[in-house]
Amino acid sequence: MEEIVFLVIIGAGVILCLLRMVKGPTAPDRAVAVDTASTVTTALLVFLGYTFKRSIYLDVSLVYAVLTFIGAVAIARYLERGI
Amino acid sequence: MMLFQFLLILIMLIGAIAVCVFRTLINAVVAMALVSLIASILFYYLQAPDVAMAEASVGAALTTAIFVIAIRKTKKRDDKG
Repeated sequence: MEEIVFLVIIGAGVILCLLRMVKGPTAPDRAVAVDTASTVTTALLVFLGYTFKRSIYLDVSLVYAVLTFIGAVAIARYLERGI
Repeated sequence: MMLFQFLLILIMLIGAIAVCVFRTLINAVVAMALVSLIASILFYYLQAPDVAMAEASVGAALTTAIFVIAIRKTKKRDDKG
């Protein structure tokens, strides 16, 4: 039961991020939408590791969070004319 | 659980269509980051966490950063097709 509730909430969050990514008039809107989606799906990875009863799966979510941060930083540096 | 996988695949499909439709290169790169993100989640769902980790490192970080650097270092001709 708790699994269904969690998946519905995560699905709603990812769909809202997708809508902003498709609609968003400027590039920063889209970048923030994808960054938010990566944060939401990190929570999904942690919950799936709990569901599968494997503690090694939590390491994947750590690597995931760090690496999506690098991608977000690269896009942000581009948007402020840096890099 | 199965329905959620279908939802993820649908989101990935919409992101892939958005990559083809967007006219600005940086928007297409952002949409490609979303597609890679969802692909990593699907690998994780299919109980291949090492493949998911490799996909996250290559797709989300390395490819996005290299594409952004390449867009920065080339001329702005992206709006003329």
